Amino acid sequence: MGRYLFHRAWQSLVTLVLASVVVFLGVRALPGDPALALAGEEATPEQLAAVRAELGLDQSLPVQYGRYVGQLLSGDLGESSRTGQPVADLVATTLPVTAWLSLYALVVAVVLGVGAGVVAAVKRGRWQEWAVSTTSVVLLSVPSFWIGILAVLVLAVWAGLFPASGYVSPLEDPLRALWHLTMPAFVLGTAIAAVVMRQTRASMLETLSADFVRTARAKGLSSRRVLGRYALRNSLVVVVTVVGLQLGGLISGAVVTERIFGLPGLGRLTLDAVFTRDYAVIQAVVVLVTAFYVVINLAVDALYSLLDPRVRVDA
Amino acid sequence: MAAAALAAALTLTSCYAVQDTITTVDRTDAVGEPLGDTPVREGGDLVMGLSAEPDALDPTTSSSLYTRYVMASICEKLYDLDAEGELVPQLATDLPTVSEDGLQVDIPVREGVVFADGTPFDAEAVATTLQRHLDLPDSSRRSEMGPITAIEALDATTVRLTYETPFAPITAALADRAGMIMSPTALDELGEDFGTSPTCVGPFRFAERVPQTEIVVERDPGYYAADEVHLDSITYRIMTDASIRSANLRSGDVQVADTISTQDADAMTRESGLTLLQSGSLGYQAVTFNIGNVDGTGEPPGEIDTPEAQDVRVRDAFSRAVDREALVATVFNGWFDAACSPISPDSPFSTPASEACPEHDPEASLDLLREAGVETPLRIDMQISNTPDSLRLGQALQASVQAGGFDLEIVPVEYSTLLDVQTRGDFRMLQLGWSGRVDPAANTSNFLSTGAGNNYSGYSDEDMDALLAEASQATDQAARAETYGRVVEKVQEDDPVVYLYRQRNLTGHTDEVAGVQTFADGVVRLSRAAFVADDDTVEER
Repeated sequence: MGRYLFHRAWQSLVTLVLASVVVFLGVRALPGDPALALAGEEATPEQLAAVRAELGLDQSLPVQYGRYVGQLLSGDLGESSRTGQPVADLVATTLPVTAWLSLYALVVAVVLGVGAGVVAAVKRGRWQEWAVSTTSVVLLSVPSFWIGILAVLVLAVWAGLFPASGYVSPLEDPLRALWHLTMPAFVLGTAIAAVVMRQTRASMLETLSADFVRTARAKGLSSRRVLGRYALRNSLVVVVTVVGLQLGGLISGAVVTERIFGLPGLGRLTLDAVFTRDYAVIQAVVVLVTAFYVVINLAVDALYSLLDPRVRVDA
Repeated sequence: MAAAALAAALTLTSCYAVQDTITTVDRTDAVGEPLGDTPVREGGDLVMGLSAEPDALDPTTSSSLYTRYVMASICEKLYDLDAEGELVPQLATDLPTVSEDGLQVDIPVREGVVFADGTPFDAEAVATTLQRHLDLPDSSRRSEMGPITAIEALDATTVRLTYETPFAPITAALADRAGMIMSPTALDELGEDFGTSPTCVGPFRFAERVPQTEIVVERDPGYYAADEVHLDSITYRIMTDASIRSANLRSGDVQVADTISTQDADAMTRESGLTLLQSGSLGYQAVTFNIGNVDGTGEPPGEIDTPEAQDVRVRDAFSRAVDREALVATVFNGWFDAACSPISPDSPFSTPASEACPEHDPEASLDLLREAGVETPLRIDMQISNTPDSLRLGQALQASVQAGGFDLEIVPVEYSTLLDVQTRGDFRMLQLGWSGRVDPAANTSNFLSTGAGNNYSGYSDEDMDALLAEASQATDQAARAETYGRVVEKVQEDDPVVYLYRQRNLTGHTDEVAGVQTFADGVVRLSRAAFVADDDTVEER
């Protein structure tokens, strides 16, 4: 197990180095000039030259990459070309927002998804299954930005139940934070819940027809115990995989959700950075998100073995 | 005869469409009222939904228009605009005195004023700020300041600018970011990082900036007219999406929002509890033809082998083929104004000559193309921003010029890329606009004089260069206005740029607040605003 994880960590490091090269070249391959994006409509050639020199964009690509890696290794993420603020500060203020939003959305996705999946499997062929399946198809098909805007219109503007924008940290005021994050988290979470529900249902149906479940029932265990202790636990392996894979979707979904609800998170930071060709910010965020994704994958691998001893792996 | 009948029919149908839409829209300027006798509640935090993230809050380097919105509360300028669009003193005490030869400009400044950090404000501080605009390598202000040779403080209350050649646009420049005076103490401490904690003279002072999210400013008790300030603080919350800004205004999460979409403006004028402010813009939207930009702006113009670059008749044909009135009516619900020149009718430099417009005449357009020996329809690709509004404009333009013999191919390009394409000269035809400045020099010279930094079309004409130089050097306003009239005539003759329409600054606010004002420069002024005292007429939200 330890050797396996060590091996995976090594692979992850290589992935990160590759990601840093790809994002470095990728942002520079984008059409558009950061100096021009910064200087905007008033840019004159002299001013552009001054801005390029200040951002170090007048140097060769290898020199720029060397400087970037050097900074990265010394823990310096550089400065935003647009606002002049250190990228580390930008990430430090936006990351918690996305983390809280994702966590809440994940809870929504798992609770709704697993719950609905179990109901659909147990009530197979009855109206409950039909209702759950239809809802999940609708949630999967409708883009989340549309649901988001609709939610703002109905729940914030007409009903006045939730605020249309803004963010409060759960560490400052948990109740108000919950109030602010509920709409975004549901918009983000329900799309994933639909996927989780379908996988849970399929997996549960398979498990419920397995021999050990029949044996458990034959031994006279209550149906609740059979479901919870045996069937659900065995189905969860699939669910954990799906949730792990969906975490990437959670981050990309956060880009849209944060924009709609005016949440100051990492997604919005990235989107704005791409539009303004803020190289330092894009590079830092992509490398960080890659690192996060790699770690999540490691964690999912480790979780398998906890849930299902048969998957215990050795490198 | 048949052609005339067709032309008449086209004119009639387009007129009908225009009438139909425009009659529903009231485009009377409403720039907001000062507080006056409105009963107000002292204190409170006003939240404004800002349509774009400002760049560094540094008057010297800033190039984002939205930075001006925030700076309007914390950094007073030597001059300002009033509701009529006229220049009035703010930190100066009077308009500048210009010497006979136009080379020396003396600016009298206020006494007994302090910066937000307690540093006294005087002529020396003004000179320090203006000198920084000239010295800082990435200054965006240098060209706005003109050919200055010296800046000096004559005494505590007089600043003298000395020029190589007369430069009339300076007063207007000092009513924008160049005129925002920075605390010398803060400049000493922060240097190039002044924007991280801007310190000026203003009704409010900088408190906090959360990147991508909000900028908070709080009331400055040391401000010289502190008794006119009612709010405790103002939060500028960044909301880039127009529909989301409107939704937040309706839900009461923000009290003020700028750049209301023309799609929402109609509804907003009908809803109770909301007020829509509007004023004409000093800028313009146009299409630029590439007629000589081969190596990028700032480089000498070269030869381009396209019909529109080779023959002015082709460009003239395009200008006549566009039905500008129908365009603004269909794309912007009639909220914007058709425009044919870089000088806004809201500018004090507007004259009948600068407001002249070529008649919409597709038949004449076809004739001109035929004369130029061009096979119709002439296919040209037009690069345009990929926002929904721009794309709708592109499609409407495509339909509009079809009858005049043009077959436009719309190439949507993301904004930052479009700026790059424009600068490099990598286009045949391109649609973008200019936000506009008070002085017409800033709306013309940069774009139309040979080799100028923003001369994207690569246009070069000796007569135009001479006219533009004459207009910026004359000191008499009437004489300048007359010369700018001739500039417009000339640009309509040569058509390197074909002007299409002028936006209107649309700002919404809830009736919870009063004293919100926005003038011709489009900047929303909140420093004298206040929450209206609770009474039965104020709708509960």
